[in-house]
Amino acid sequence: MNTAPSIRRPHVHSPRMPWWLPGVLGLLGAWIWVAIYAPFWTTFGSGVLFGMCMITLLALSRKNLVMPATLMDEQDSQQAEIVQREIEALMPHATSAEVLPQVDEMVQSMASEHQKRRLEELLLHWVSVSQQYSDAALSMRKEIHNVTEQTEHAATTIANSFQAIINKATVQARQAMELLEGTQGAMTEGVPQSLKDFIRVSDERLTKMADEVVRVADLSVRMVRELDAVQQRAQAIDGFLLDVDKLADQTSLLALNADIEAARVGEQGRGFSVVAQEVRRLSKRSHEFSNSIRQHLEGVRAGLNKTYGDMRSLSAADVNHATGIKNEVLQLTQSLEGKNREVADTVSSINAISKEIAQDVQNVVISLQFHDITSQKLNGMLGPMDELRHMLFQLMQETLTFDKSLLKRLPGDDRWLARLHDVAQPTAVAATAYLDSRPQADSAPHAPPKNGTGPAVELF
Amino acid sequence: MATIMTVDDTATMRQMVSFTLHSVGHEVVQASDGQEALALAKGRKLDMVIADVNMPNMDGITLVKSLRALPEYKFIPILLLTTESHDAKRQEGKGAGATGWIVKPFNPEQLLSVVKKVLG
Repeated sequence: MNTAPSIRRPHVHSPRMPWWLPGVLGLLGAWIWVAIYAPFWTTFGSGVLFGMCMITLLALSRKNLVMPATLMDEQDSQQAEIVQREIEALMPHATSAEVLPQVDEMVQSMASEHQKRRLEELLLHWVSVSQQYSDAALSMRKEIHNVTEQTEHAATTIANSFQAIINKATVQARQAMELLEGTQGAMTEGVPQSLKDFIRVSDERLTKMADEVVRVADLSVRMVRELDAVQQRAQAIDGFLLDVDKLADQTSLLALNADIEAARVGEQGRGFSVVAQEVRRLSKRSHEFSNSIRQHLEGVRAGLNKTYGDMRSLSAADVNHATGIKNEVLQLTQSLEGKNREVADTVSSINAISKEIAQDVQNVVISLQFHDITSQKLNGMLGPMDELRHMLFQLMQETLTFDKSLLKRLPGDDRWLARLHDVAQPTAVAATAYLDSRPQADSAPHAPPKNGTGPAVELF
Repeated sequence: MATIMTVDDTATMRQMVSFTLHSVGHEVVQASDGQEALALAKGRKLDMVIADVNMPNMDGITLVKSLRALPEYKFIPILLLTTESHDAKRQEGKGAGATGWIVKPFNPEQLLSVVKKVLG
């Protein structure tokens, strides 16, 4: 008897009372009241009246004069379902109705009408969900594309910056090495090419100069000694001059005696007197000559004494000064050598740090390859999603072509169809365009390998 | 020094490979997909090609096949530099005529070592 298919309800609604039930209950109550309180014929008559009312009601129902389901609003669809359920529940007990085929037809008609409504609702819901998924997938695709582009831009900028840092660090390391070689390098054609050579050459030449000064000082000492000898000889000459003066005095005294004796002899001694005078004149000239020599000797001695003093002071000063200069030069060169070693150590350290920076930045640049890997994985995710969108669109199209007359019975169906067409078509075009333009290997290659993977580098 | 073409749809990867190869004096030509690479390869003499596998327009394996079809690139080394590590894909590259397979992320020193070895 119950041939209507069961309808699955997505929502639970509160049951509503059928429109004819109060009338039937009212008539039944009135008949019971009459049966209790009225006489037999009154009860019999009212029973007949109740039966006739029921027969009239069933006849009206058969002629579709009851309220049709098509006149219900959407909210009454649940009411129809409840009616169906209640009729179905009443059928096994209403044995008198089983013989009436109108009841079964009525129930089936209501169930079919409700099934269509439910199907339309499900179709609408299905298309709406598909549309929402399609829109969300398209939006997600755009966002993934934007993220990929922004990541690529950022990764490119970072890579360029880091590569510039690597270049600068490399240049810095090279310059540090050149500086290190400059401080430690060798001479070219006798000209120092490095600070180390400069220090060495300066040390050599200053030492040589100090040695020369010491040698000159030694010469000065020897010259002082020679001057001492010369001064002693000058004193000897002075003694000889005294002897000359004594000889001149004695000669003059002899000449005076000779002159006296010649005067005593008289005329005969006149010639002898001339000789005596001449001897006396020679003696005088000897005195004058001796005095002149003494004067010159005094001048020589004074000069020698002055030279002697200067030479002594000079030789002493030269030795001290040369020794001092040599020590100062030695300290200076030692200090310079120390500084040079410090510079070399610092430059070596800078060079090593520059290489480490270059290596560290290189590692960062290697890590930046994550962008390529992640973007390819994201593109790999897009493939299945687009295929699903494509399949959904095809299902939507099939739904549209399945029963347009059914869809047109929906309230506002024309607008709904137009909206579905306008929205679904560009989505499909976009999906199809993507599917046509995407790389062939995009769909599968980024899935994690199912089998074993080979080495990172392999030459075939 | 050699003239090497790097083919990758990611600009960052192209720059990294170029920078690495430039650092040892190689001349580098860049292409963003297989089609562009094929067009560039026909117009010049290259000593080596380093290509990505997954690219739009023409993928790396198709590029290898297309290059191997050209007489002047029959014996030129072609390395595939890719995120792919799957053995089947690797064998596909080998079957297409690739000289070697390098998995990203690559180490610059490792890449230079492979390039030096392949160039002989």
